[in-house]
Amino acid sequence: MNPESVLPALLGLAWLLPLASFAIIVLLGRRLGKEGVLASYVATSAILSGFVLSAIAMLVWLGSAPAPEEHHEDESHASSTVDAPLVVRAQDAGEEHAAPVDAEHDDHAAEHGEEDHHAGHHAEPPRSYSGDWYLLGEFGDLRISIGYYVDALTVTMFCMVTFIATCIHFYAVGYMHDELHDVDDHEVTLEDGGHLHRRGRFHRFFQYLSLFCFSMLGIVIAGNIAMVFVFWELVGVCSYFLIGFYFERHSASCAANKAFIVNRVGDFGMIIGLMALWGSLGTFSFGDWTDSEGNQQAGIFSQVRPEENEYQLRTPDGMVRAAASEEVAQIVAETGDLEASETAIAEQIPEWRDGPEHYGYALLVIAGLGIFCGCVGKSAQFPLHVWLPDAMEGPTPVSALVHSATMVAAGVYLVGRFFPVFTPEVLLAIAYIGAITLFIAATIAIVATDIKRVLAYSTVSQLGYMMLALGIGGWVAGMFHLITHAFFKSLLFMGSGSVIHACHTNEMTKMGGLRHKMPWTAYTMLVGCLAIIGAGIPFVIGFSGYYSKDAIIEQALSFTNENPAHRILFLAAAGGAAITAFYMFRLWFMTFAGPPRDERVYEHAHESPKVMYLPLVVLSVFAIGVGWQLPGLPSLAGNTGLLEQARPAGTLANVEGGAWLPELTIPDEHLSHVKEIKIPATLIAFSTALGGVFFAAVFYGWRLLDPEDARRQFFPVHRFLLHKWWFDELYEIIFIRPAHVVARLAAGVDKNAFDRLIDGTATFVRGVSDQVDRSIDRPVVDGLANKLAQWTYSLGLGLRVAQTGSIRQYVMFIVVGTAALFLLVSFFWNPTWAGN
Amino acid sequence: MNLFEQLDAYLHDTLHVSLPAFGPELAICATILLMLVIRVLPGGNRFDSFYVALVGMGVALWWAAPWDAHTVARQEIFTGLLVYDPWTAYFRGFLATFALLFLIFCKISGIVDREDSPDFYTLVLGGLLGMCLMAASNHLLMVFLGVEMASVPSYVLAGIIKSRRDSSEAALKYAVYGAGTAGIMLYGISLLGGLLGSVHLPTMAHRLAELLMAAENSGGDLAQGELLVLALGGLMLAVGLAFKLSAVPFHFWCPDVFEGATAEVNAFLSVASKAAALALLVRVAFGMTSIPTPAVEVEPPVEVAGFFAVADEPVEGESPSDVSASTAEAETPPSLETLSPEEASSALAPARTYVAGLIALLAAITCTFGNLAAYGQTNIKRLLAYSTIAHAGYMMMPAAAAVVLIGRDPVNAQQAVASIATYVGIYLFMNLGAFAVIAFLRNTMGSEEIADYAGLVRKSPGVVVCFALILFSLVGLPPLAGFLAKFEAFAALANAEMWTLLAIGGLNTVISLFYYLRVVKVMAMSPEPDHRAPFRFSLVSVPGAYVVAMTLPLVVLILGWDTLQRLTLTAASRLLS
Amino acid sequence: MNLLTEPVGLTHYLVVGAVMFVTGAVCMATKRNALGVLMGIELVLNGANLNFVAFSSPYLRGSSVFLGLDGQLIALFVIVLAAAEAAVALAITLNFYNNHATVDVDEADRLKG
Repeated sequence: MNPESVLPALLGLAWLLPLASFAIIVLLGRRLGKEGVLASYVATSAILSGFVLSAIAMLVWLGSAPAPEEHHEDESHASSTVDAPLVVRAQDAGEEHAAPVDAEHDDHAAEHGEEDHHAGHHAEPPRSYSGDWYLLGEFGDLRISIGYYVDALTVTMFCMVTFIATCIHFYAVGYMHDELHDVDDHEVTLEDGGHLHRRGRFHRFFQYLSLFCFSMLGIVIAGNIAMVFVFWELVGVCSYFLIGFYFERHSASCAANKAFIVNRVGDFGMIIGLMALWGSLGTFSFGDWTDSEGNQQAGIFSQVRPEENEYQLRTPDGMVRAAASEEVAQIVAETGDLEASETAIAEQIPEWRDGPEHYGYALLVIAGLGIFCGCVGKSAQFPLHVWLPDAMEGPTPVSALVHSATMVAAGVYLVGRFFPVFTPEVLLAIAYIGAITLFIAATIAIVATDIKRVLAYSTVSQLGYMMLALGIGGWVAGMFHLITHAFFKSLLFMGSGSVIHACHTNEMTKMGGLRHKMPWTAYTMLVGCLAIIGAGIPFVIGFSGYYSKDAIIEQALSFTNENPAHRILFLAAAGGAAITAFYMFRLWFMTFAGPPRDERVYEHAHESPKVMYLPLVVLSVFAIGVGWQLPGLPSLAGNTGLLEQARPAGTLANVEGGAWLPELTIPDEHLSHVKEIKIPATLIAFSTALGGVFFAAVFYGWRLLDPEDARRQFFPVHRFLLHKWWFDELYEIIFIRPAHVVARLAAGVDKNAFDRLIDGTATFVRGVSDQVDRSIDRPVVDGLANKLAQWTYSLGLGLRVAQTGSIRQYVMFIVVGTAALFLLVSFFWNPTWAGN
Repeated sequence: MNLFEQLDAYLHDTLHVSLPAFGPELAICATILLMLVIRVLPGGNRFDSFYVALVGMGVALWWAAPWDAHTVARQEIFTGLLVYDPWTAYFRGFLATFALLFLIFCKISGIVDREDSPDFYTLVLGGLLGMCLMAASNHLLMVFLGVEMASVPSYVLAGIIKSRRDSSEAALKYAVYGAGTAGIMLYGISLLGGLLGSVHLPTMAHRLAELLMAAENSGGDLAQGELLVLALGGLMLAVGLAFKLSAVPFHFWCPDVFEGATAEVNAFLSVASKAAALALLVRVAFGMTSIPTPAVEVEPPVEVAGFFAVADEPVEGESPSDVSASTAEAETPPSLETLSPEEASSALAPARTYVAGLIALLAAITCTFGNLAAYGQTNIKRLLAYSTIAHAGYMMMPAAAAVVLIGRDPVNAQQAVASIATYVGIYLFMNLGAFAVIAFLRNTMGSEEIADYAGLVRKSPGVVVCFALILFSLVGLPPLAGFLAKFEAFAALANAEMWTLLAIGGLNTVISLFYYLRVVKVMAMSPEPDHRAPFRFSLVSVPGAYVVAMTLPLVVLILGWDTLQRLTLTAASRLLS
Repeated sequence: MNLLTEPVGLTHYLVVGAVMFVTGAVCMATKRNALGVLMGIELVLNGANLNFVAFSSPYLRGSSVFLGLDGQLIALFVIVLAAAEAAVALAITLNFYNNHATVDVDEADRLKG
């Protein structure tokens, strides 16, 4: 049971199963059962099997963990920290662990202790298995392959994605049952005024879902950035299909286009980043690999954080060379001989790197920013956040799976995966973008009335949180929040889908008091709301969101302590928490509490079928407990948790600023757990959440104040927020109108100039060939062939005459034939007398 | 030379040497007898003699071993009348295999009912017996007897459907024509035998060598006259062989007989008859123009000179004694002993030229005529008759090449002969398959006109596909087996540097494309006639399975080409040595 | 060499044989009656037989190159064969008569081309 071969096999199979499901449904489609109803079985069983395989992979991962060294990590780590109480605590822990352990481990500890003089920067690279499954091609230095990079983060993400996808597949079976028969789409008006009547597309939905799962898992397992890019695009395509599922609706098809195009803008930056990386590092692969000659080649991570630099970020040699190209050329010109010049260059590189010009640093920053650009597009960060709210045109399962838990999380995942490459400057930029996004989105959510829009903006805001967390050095905090968010956001979306299914409307202004009619939905959504605001009993226990949000706020506080100039990041985080609590409970109160606002809607409302609310229950269990450290089960974010196992190398230390912002200090994440930081942070988080809930209750729960009054009072602000900060209009003026003008011009040139030229050439050629055909081919060539055939045929027909049918003539011919042959013989035989 | 000693010697030779090597023929004889006797016995009428024939031919096939032909050496049996060598073994095996497949074919097509089956199968087996003798003959008497034994039952078979006018006409034409050419052949044999003083082929070859050498040394008109008579005799012998081969200008029986007789009989005639005729052609051609280097001698326990003592080995002999007419038969003239095989071989060169030239001429005319005359045919059986004629032409070409190569390059001569055997082997499946399709279509559709095959692809696509494959194979398109056969034949021609013949052969392949493809076109592309009665002929049935079984080797043989090559090379291995 | 004046030798036999052969051939080629054609066949075969017998004699042929008993036996075999062939041919002719009500070979011209 070698984890190195088993894990890629398990995860690879889990990855490919949805592809198989896609292929089957594409080929058989409607023929799977009545109207394709079995397509859901195919898809669901595929993703369920994927989940089972991921769970097995998780077990394998945990089972193959090398145990003893962890204790010594803590111990050695403890010796590095300055803070006394922590040392005491950790040493206690270390002693506790050390006591039952035998002498071997003590020696081991001693060794570790000695090595740890540079303990501040010391962190082993995370356990990972990387390799290639299939080499697509090698074009000189460019090596394109389908490969994998499996570490704890990969396994965790696999489990999360497949699990949530499975729940949503079950949910969708119930939600999409309308598509099993012909559908009357009331949101589409035809030319004659009637509504669209079309066949159901049940199987298509699952086909796209399967393709999406395949692509998403492809991003997670990818072992090189090129493969990530391929699946990045593929995920975007799937999102396009799914958003535009009801493509006859104008709004839906526009939303699909918008999503895809805005993503493409981000991908443009990603390509630049890719080019910078490949041009200077010469490889796409994350982990190290062996080339065809058996040499060990360094992957991206090893090149930017080499072991000899104790895994601290350092401009890789390739980038330095690329940036200092002038100097390199000079050296080559001076020395002339290739080998000698190589050694000279190699000597110069450290000087170039650390000297005043900091050669190559700009390239590193560009690479990081470029990749982040793609994440901005995919994760709907400012300024490319405009597509996500429109994406709610898709069916609710799509929103739950794609636009809350997985696809949008792909951006955050990539930031987390690519973390070793980001310089502190890039990280700061990421943090600011995250903070801006979280604020903008939260404010817009306050005034939105469409239940899915609120959740959409909530998603954007939470993604901003994750980016902020990652940017300020809270790697585990950010990824932790990613995972917990996946659970409670998909729960919230599915719940809202339940509500929409029951009320046949998205508008919260028509809802109210639904908890009496739909108890399961109401209370699971309550769980979700509590989770997202980070509810819990401080210092004791909480929902999953409590732990992850607290981790972020702790890290923000720690960061502010180190860098008071960037205090605003912390304020944004804390303020955002308050606003989040407000609008989430606004949503809950408006939908489920108080008297119903529309009697007819209230009459028709009913609880969803079991297949729809059972996944809600399952997800709420996880939304509550996924952050807990239960005995016997692996924890997510604890010191020995899964995410900690996946922490990139060299990040467990204070990082001094890079070449451009030397004053910046990104604090060590573990420092954020000290009492000085933890207590204030928890209290702040708790109080802001409480404040938000209180205000929401005031306006919508107890209805002490009327929101209508507030609206009138702050009318300009309200209008500004209602129009989503006028972003759509801004983009329309800056980008879309000029693009249309240019397009019209180009079309004109194309039609009048190019088309005329090409059509003319074609007509000319056709005329020539017609002429040749008429004058040469038909008369001469064909004629000759036909004539030959004619001759042969008439000769053949002529020969039939010999067969007269008269036996007497036949016998006569015998005699005549013999005689003739004899004459021939007697004529010709003499000359050939001599023979051979 | 004691009478008893002679009898002993003869008995020994017969029982221990000849009869064991004569197994398959004996099996056939026994089967024939059994079939005739069973009918006489009470209750025999209820018994379908198909089974008897099948078992009998199975035994014959098994006995036609050795399956490992390498161990067979050239051995003259029955005091030189027949010869048992790999060539014999191959053709016996071939004919036995053909017989089994043919019997099954007849059973499936139901041409013969149970009452008439003994007659039919007796005739078939009788013909096969004659053909086996043809393949093994070493003596001109056997040549004649074999040809007649093979032909006479065929005359009757052609007219086996007594009620049909065309059958009776075909039978009459066949009988008259066959008898005529047989007569000419006999006259030619008499001339040859008389002139050369022997009708035993190896002896004749020796004598011929001497004669030619003497003629060369002396020159002069006397020799010229003799040689001319020899040429005439050889020509007349060739007439008989040409009749069997349906070579032009002695082919006139072929189209009429094929059109009049049933498709089953046509299969018999076109495959087995041709194969035996080709075997015989090679025997005679090689026998007359080459001296086999010393082969295995069968030493009688007593010295030769008994009643029928014929020299097994030409060099063996004794001085003539004029007085005792009852003794001393073929005396070897003194000069014979002086000729070494090499000398004799080179002396026979003019004979080789003559024979090769004759065969080449006949082959060229045959295939051209056959291909051209097939153009205007409307009856499928007649078309295949001309196709048979043309293929006979192709098959004769390597024989010419082989004779040419005997003196120059014995290895390639062997290869050329082997190519004939290959061609024959492949031709078995092609023609049997074609006639099987025709027979089954006649059973279901009731017509043998090509025009009635129009649009068949819609009714029975599988059968049309098989038939198309067979026809393509007959054309010689790769990768079907027909291409293999033609390729080997033409390779032999190229080895012998007979470029004209090669060109004619190639051109004829091109010409032949037309009429084969016309059939395919009619079947596949022509619209169905409105008045056709509904019928059903699918591949999933016994006839369909038979058709597939005949087509499959054509498609698959390209993979096992070298096995077939090895087999036929071994078959040809002892002809020259 | 005047054959009519010389003592009877090989040539005479051969000439007779040849005459018989040619007669038979002409008969086969010209007779309209099927039975006549069969008679022609018999003539041809017997002409050849005569040749065989002639060649088999050492007195006629020459003591060094005579066929001997082979020739005699071949003649016997041919006679048997001719008889068998005649029997078969007669049966075929009878069948032909049954179908065509005539033994005129010119009536057998449906199969042609």
